[in-house]
Amino acid sequence: MRLPLTRRNFLRTAALATGALLSADAATRAEPLWAGSVGPEDPEVPNEAVARVLRERFGDRPIRRGHVSLDMPAVAEDGRVVPVIIESDLPMTPDAWVKGVHLIVDHNPDAHLAAFHLTPAIGSVSITTRIKMKRTTWVRAILETSGGELWADYTRVLVTLNGCG
Amino acid sequence: MASGIGEARIRVPAQIRKGELITVHSIVSHPMDTGFFRTRDGDPIPAYFIKSVVVTYGNEEVARFEWTSGISRDPVITFTVRADREAQLAMVWTDNKGGVYRQSTDIAFTTA
Repeated sequence: MRLPLTRRNFLRTAALATGALLSADAATRAEPLWAGSVGPEDPEVPNEAVARVLRERFGDRPIRRGHVSLDMPAVAEDGRVVPVIIESDLPMTPDAWVKGVHLIVDHNPDAHLAAFHLTPAIGSVSITTRIKMKRTTWVRAILETSGGELWADYTRVLVTLNGCG
Repeated sequence: MASGIGEARIRVPAQIRKGELITVHSIVSHPMDTGFFRTRDGDPIPAYFIKSVVVTYGNEEVARFEWTSGISRDPVITFTVRADREAQLAMVWTDNKGGVYRQSTDIAFTTA
C-alpha cells in the first residue's frame, strides 16, 4: 500500500526516525528492537499472548493490511492516556459490514485490550478512545467483516511513562 | 472522585437531519483500576473496570464493546450512528463488580 504524504504519515515517519535515533545504543544491546520485523512499517512477529488472541479470535484466516487506519501518536509521553482513532473505508450496509474491531497492544499485560462489535446501523467505522500502554510496542487494529475477511493496520508507539503499573 | 463513579454523558449534534451519519461522544466516570497498582501504604488496589458497554438505538442493539482495564480512567468512546429515525440512543456501562450505569439522549430531527 503506497501511503500518500498526509500529516499522519509524515508524523509517523518522523517519529520512526526519532525512535531509531533514540534507540541507537539500545540496538547494540542484547534485545534487538526490530526482531522479526521485515521492514520499519511491519509489526514484529506476534508474541505468545498475541498469537493466542489471533488464533482464538480468527483461527488461521489470513489478516491483510488495508482498509483500516489506526491513528495514534508516534510518541506517547504518558502511557496512562494514549489516544486511539480507528477508521475504515469498508462498507456498513445490511449486505456487508464490519462486525468487529479488535485492538491489540502487543506488550500490555492484557494484550487484547478491547473489542468493538458493530452493526450496519453504526454507519461507519470511526472509533475514538483512550488507552493505557505499558511500554513501547506495536499496536494492532484488526477488523472482521460480516463475510469473515480480516483487515488490519499496525503502528508502533514509543511509550516513555508506563501506564499499566 | 469515588462519589462520581458511573456518572455519564452522551453528546450528539444539536442539529440532526434524517439519514445523517452523526458522531456520538460519550464519557463515564470510572477509575479503571488495573489491579497492578498499590496504594501509598503498599496495599494492592484491586482491579475495578468497565468490562462491557451496550449501545441501543430505539429497541435495536447497534453496538457492544468488550473492554479491559487497558482503557484509560474515565473512559471516553466516540463512534457514529446512522440517524435514520427519531428514537432514544442509550448506553449501558457494566463494570467487573456488577455496577451498571446508564445514560441516554434523544435523536430528534431538525425541522427546517
